[in-house]
Amino acid sequence: MVQPSAALLLEGLGRTFGTRRALWDVGLEMAPGEIVGLVGPNGAGKTTLIKLIAGFLRPDAGRVRVLGMCPRRRSRQVMERVRFAFAPPPLFEPLTAREHLVHLPRLGGTEVSRSEIDRALQVVGLDERADEPVRTFSTGMRQRLTLAQAILPMPELLVLDEPTEGLDPLAVLELRSLLVLLREEHNLTILLSSHLLVEIEELVDRMLVLSNGETLFLGTPGELTEHTARLRLKVDRAEAAQEAFGERGIASQMVGDELELALDGTDLEGARAILRARGLALTGFRTHRATLEEALLERLRQGKGRP
Amino acid sequence: MIQLEILRLWRSRRPLLAEAAILFFLAMMLLGFYTYAQTKTGGGADFRYTFENRSYFNGLTFAIYAFYFGFLLILPIFVATEGGAQIAGDTSRRTLLLFLTRPVGRGRLFLGKLAVATGLGCLLVADLLITSLLIGLLVVGWGDLDLYPGVLQMTDRHQHLGQSQALLRFAYAWPAATVALFAPLSLSLLISSWARSAVNAVGVSVAVYLVLYVVSEIHFFQDLRPWLFTSHMAYWRELFREEVDWPSLFRDGAKLMGFSCLFLALAFHRFRTREER
Repeated sequence: MVQPSAALLLEGLGRTFGTRRALWDVGLEMAPGEIVGLVGPNGAGKTTLIKLIAGFLRPDAGRVRVLGMCPRRRSRQVMERVRFAFAPPPLFEPLTAREHLVHLPRLGGTEVSRSEIDRALQVVGLDERADEPVRTFSTGMRQRLTLAQAILPMPELLVLDEPTEGLDPLAVLELRSLLVLLREEHNLTILLSSHLLVEIEELVDRMLVLSNGETLFLGTPGELTEHTARLRLKVDRAEAAQEAFGERGIASQMVGDELELALDGTDLEGARAILRARGLALTGFRTHRATLEEALLERLRQGKGRP
Repeated sequence: MIQLEILRLWRSRRPLLAEAAILFFLAMMLLGFYTYAQTKTGGGADFRYTFENRSYFNGLTFAIYAFYFGFLLILPIFVATEGGAQIAGDTSRRTLLLFLTRPVGRGRLFLGKLAVATGLGCLLVADLLITSLLIGLLVVGWGDLDLYPGVLQMTDRHQHLGQSQALLRFAYAWPAATVALFAPLSLSLLISSWARSAVNAVGVSVAVYLVLYVVSEIHFFQDLRPWLFTSHMAYWRELFREEVDWPSLFRDGAKLMGFSCLFLALAFHRFRTREER
C-alpha cells in the first residue's frame, strides 16, 4: 500500500551483486520533516541503499517509494523534489563554485537568481572562493559545495551520503546547525548516512543502523541506549568478587578499577548479598549507562557486524 | 545542458589540444611534402619552383592529401576521445551523478552529449579542411587541382578541377566528411556507454576503428567490406571528380548514417537501462 504522506518508504528492500548480498529486507518509513541517520560500518550497504533510493539501482526484492513515486519509473518527477549529495563529492573540476550553482539548477529548467546563489554560498561558507575552480578546493570545501548545490532549488527530501567526511570538527558543527535550520525553515526531510555515529547523533530523530546489509536497529537514539545501564562496583578483592558472581552465573568484567556486572543498574541489593556471603566489602558503586557509540558497538558485536 | 557541456568542453582544453595536434600534423605533412618534392627534383629546386613549372603538386594537392590522412587517422581519434569523455568520462569521474540527480531525462542527457560531441566533430572537420587549405595555398602555392591514380586510390583516372571548382568541392567535403565522422563518433559513444573508464572507452574505440579500417583496406576481405562502416568513410573523395556521381555519394552517405543510427540506438538503449553502481 503506497502511503503518499511518507516522504520515503522502503519495504523489504534487497539487492544482491553477484553472490554478495549487499542489502537484505531493509524497511523504513520517513515522515515529512524527519531527520533519519543511516549508520553502519564501511561496506554495511549505506551507499547501495541511497542508490536504490535514487533509482540508480534496481532492487531484487521489495520496493522504494520516494514521495509516493517509484524512483526508476518516474525519475524526472522524483529528481524535481529530491536532491542527493554523494560522497566523495562529484564535481566538475574546471568549473567554479558559482558556475556549479548557476548551471546545475538550469538542468532542471530552474533559473536561480544571483542573490540566491550568493546566499547559498554564504550559508556554506564558500562566498570568498565562489569564483575559483573547484580543482583548487579542499575535501571540506567540496562537501560544502555539494551541499550548496543540493539546496538550490530547495528540495522536499535531501539525501546526504557521508556529508561529514573530510570536514573538521567545527565544520561538522556548522553542518549540523545548517541542517537543523533547513528543517526548521523548510520542513526539509533529511536522510543522511555516516559511519561515525558521534557526528550525527545530536541531529537525527531516528537511526537506521545497517550491518552487512541488514537492519540492526531502527529507532531513536534513546531507544538504542535503553536497557544499557550496568552496575559498576568497587570492591576490596575484585578477583574473588568476580569468582563469586561467576558462580551465580552473572557475567562480569573489570573496567579500570571497577567491576562491571551484566545486571540491570537497579539490582544493587542482589549484588551486595552475593558479596556479603563471600565476606567481601563493597566500597563504592555507580550505575553506568552506555553512550550511543558503545550501545551501537555492542549491537554490532551481537549482530553480524564488525566489533 | 548544452551550455554546461560546452563550458566543460572549453575548460577541458580538449579543443585546444586537438587544434595543436592538427597544426603539428599539418606541419609534418608539409615537411613530408617538401622532402618528397626535393627528392623528385633531385634537390635542385624548391617546391614552389616545381609548382610554377606546372607540376601537379600545389596547395590544393597538399590540402586534399593532408585532409585525407588527417580525416582517416587523426580526426577519428579525437572524436573517439570526445565520445569516450562524454559518458565513460563522466562515469569514472562520477560527475554523471550530478546530471542524473537533476530532473533531466536520460534521453535529453544523451542527446545533449551527442550534440556537443557532434558539434566538436563538425568543427574539427572544418578546422582541418580550412587549415589544410590555408597552409596549402599560402605556403605551397595556388593552381588547379590535378589528381592521378595512385596508391591512395583518390581516383582511378586523371581528374582535373579548376581552382575555384576545387575550392567549391572542398566546401562540399565539409558536410560529407562530417557525416562520415559521425560513424566513429557514434561507435565511441556506444563503447562509452558500456565502459566505466574514459581511458578504456577511448582505447577500445580507437582500437576497434583501426582494426575495422585496416580490414576494410585489405582486399582479402572483399565480402566483408560492405558491412564495415570504415569501407565507406572516405566516400567524400567522390566530390573531387570532374563528374560527381551524386547517387553513389548519397548512397554511401546514407549507409554511414545507417551505421551511425544503429550505434546510437544501441548506445542510447544501454545508457537508458544501465545501473549506476
